[in-house]
Amino acid sequence: MTAWMTTADLCRYYKRARHEVRAVDRVSLGIERGEFVAVVGASGSGKSTLLNLLAGLDRPTGGHIEVGGERLDRLSRRELSRYRARKVGMVFQSFNLLPHHTALKNVETALFFDGTPRGERRGRAHEMLVRLGLGDRLGHRPGDLSGGEQQRVAMARALVKRPEVLFADEPTGNLDEENARAIIDLLIELNGEGLTVIMVTHDVDMAARVAKRTLRMHYGQVVGDSPSPAATPGPPDLPPAAPERSDSGPSAPEPPGPRSSAPDIGRGP
Amino acid sequence: MKFNDLIDLSIGSLWRIKLRAALTITGVVIAIATFVAMLSFAAGNQRWVENAYTELGLLTRINVTPKEKTPADSVDTAVLDRRALRTLSTLPGVRMAYPYVEFEVTASAADTQVTTEVRAISLEVMRIKPFSTMVGGVVFSSEDAREAVVTGEFLKKIGVKDGERLVGEKIVISTRVSSIDSALAGVVGDPEAEMADIFGRVAFDSLANPAYRGRVLRRELGDRMSRFVDGLLNHQVTVADTLTVIAVGNKIDQYEVPVSPVIVPEGIARRFSSSGVGVTNDPANLLTALQSGTIFSPGGADDSRGFPRVTLETEPQASHAAIIDSVEALGFKAFSFAEEFKQVQRFFIYYYFGLGVIGLIALATASLGIANTMIGILKSLGADEKEIQLAFLVESGTIGAVGAAVGILFGWVGTRIVAAVLKIIMQRQEMPVFDPFTLPVWLVFLALAFGIAVSMAAGLYPASRAARVDPVEALRGD
Repeated sequence: MTAWMTTADLCRYYKRARHEVRAVDRVSLGIERGEFVAVVGASGSGKSTLLNLLAGLDRPTGGHIEVGGERLDRLSRRELSRYRARKVGMVFQSFNLLPHHTALKNVETALFFDGTPRGERRGRAHEMLVRLGLGDRLGHRPGDLSGGEQQRVAMARALVKRPEVLFADEPTGNLDEENARAIIDLLIELNGEGLTVIMVTHDVDMAARVAKRTLRMHYGQVVGDSPSPAATPGPPDLPPAAPERSDSGPSAPEPPGPRSSAPDIGRGP
Repeated sequence: MKFNDLIDLSIGSLWRIKLRAALTITGVVIAIATFVAMLSFAAGNQRWVENAYTELGLLTRINVTPKEKTPADSVDTAVLDRRALRTLSTLPGVRMAYPYVEFEVTASAADTQVTTEVRAISLEVMRIKPFSTMVGGVVFSSEDAREAVVTGEFLKKIGVKDGERLVGEKIVISTRVSSIDSALAGVVGDPEAEMADIFGRVAFDSLANPAYRGRVLRRELGDRMSRFVDGLLNHQVTVADTLTVIAVGNKIDQYEVPVSPVIVPEGIARRFSSSGVGVTNDPANLLTALQSGTIFSPGGADDSRGFPRVTLETEPQASHAAIIDSVEALGFKAFSFAEEFKQVQRFFIYYYFGLGVIGLIALATASLGIANTMIGILKSLGADEKEIQLAFLVESGTIGAVGAAVGILFGWVGTRIVAAVLKIIMQRQEMPVFDPFTLPVWLVFLALAFGIAVSMAAGLYPASRAARVDPVEALRGD
């Protein structure tokens, strides 16, 4: 049986200076609805690029992605926008909230593009923020909120349109332990309600704790795919900066993607 | 995404980049304020010109003047005389034709004697613009009435400020005019003595000799022609008349239209020529009439007069171009104020266009360069390229609208300040006071539309560039 989300020989190569960088290299995988997948790996391993490809923010240079029977790599830019608007929720490490809007308006903005009637938007945004414990922060701007609160607003914005899949790119990277735990608990809860969650993280332990499945990436390739990171040990002697497996160039820098400032903690035991 | 959503996003985005937005809006404000001030000045001047043309009745007027003979002309140019006047008055579209008759006099009024020009007009002409405007409908009681209208220029000459006190007062005008009588008196003198003199000088028995006869005739005729011209030049007669001032024309002065200081009925002007040949004291006029033979034409001496100018009053809807063609076919030059007005309007169109271009450049310079990482966020939320582009265009338009609204206000305030200063200067210089600025409703809307349109046009490229931005790149931040 074909999985809900599949990739086959998925590639994302790009040029940096005169060197070709293989950010994602021939990745084939399948993800079922309702899964909680953690993608772990070192900086530059291609996990964020993979996430962007699956979320329709980026386009593959080779292979294909299919979500719910729809080939993302064949969609027009407009259709891809519609896919992001209706099926995808995204959460970033740096929250990416609109700083000039209130928490309520930020969440409401997500409904601008999915066809939700104007009259419904405010109510849904309000409801979602209340559910995430931000009922008393509706009129606050991001600058007036703590990091944890901002990330919860970002979660509310991602969830308010009732997406089929939630992509979270280092959602706890900028949070303290307590807030990180709260966000993770929320992700677990949402997944428990049937939402597919695909999360990129450096934190292998956390991935093992919360995800049902962990994909381990190394230099653009999925080198491990198991229910638990502990069950999928990486290469025992991975060098910290191995030469990339591209035809030229000395290194594999972080591909274009949301800025990540979290320390590299994903090189395995 | 609805328009309101676009506005929400745009205003929010502007709020985010407050300083840059404020600077951009300031640029637009300056551009629009300058634009409004310049256009207000242009519109004010256009209004002034339009009013002047309308009030002076210039739009239904064509001036006809004699054509100067050039070496290329094979035949003599037409004489602009009474006969030509009658022909001109019958041209299609011409309601009335009247000559320009002006002569110099010595005028005494308010215990002051000055040399001044006097214009002679008929009652019919007095009832039309600009004379009707000038004297507020006052008309001479008859063509021969010993009445006069004086204008501001005359008041200046005699040093009277309160012109109204001259109404009802007497004004004495006098001039020396050439006449056929005075000229012929010089030629003939005492006929008996003249004959005796001739008989004494001429050897009649030698007249059979053609050479001698020719010499005598040339000498005698030359001598008489010389005395005739001498009579014209040096033996002019003085004509004087006492007139009552019935009105002071001053309204027309605000347009600084050159109007003769004194205006009299045509009949008075006729009395200023003892022979009736002409009201001008220019002997050349008489010589021309003699040369052309019109001085003895059946129409009377009046027909012999050559006018420097004839004015045609046209029907309101008449085609001036067609009338000009007819006038030129008669051998005269024609000048239409309406045609000139079209040129003036064309000038204003070019002027507005030029100002528009300047404003456009200013606005385009001010509106460029609005881009931010919001694109990445919006794209991750599902905004497509068109929506991003629209959001940016609305953002540019918002800048244009705010800048234009404030700019219009600033521009208007600026013109009011300049107008107030100008008013003081004009009053001090005793110049006619007028407001050179106007801010019609169309200009307010034009400036607003202009500000928005140009800002949006200037934002078009950044907007389309923003729409194409890779969302992943955009999310990495500026």
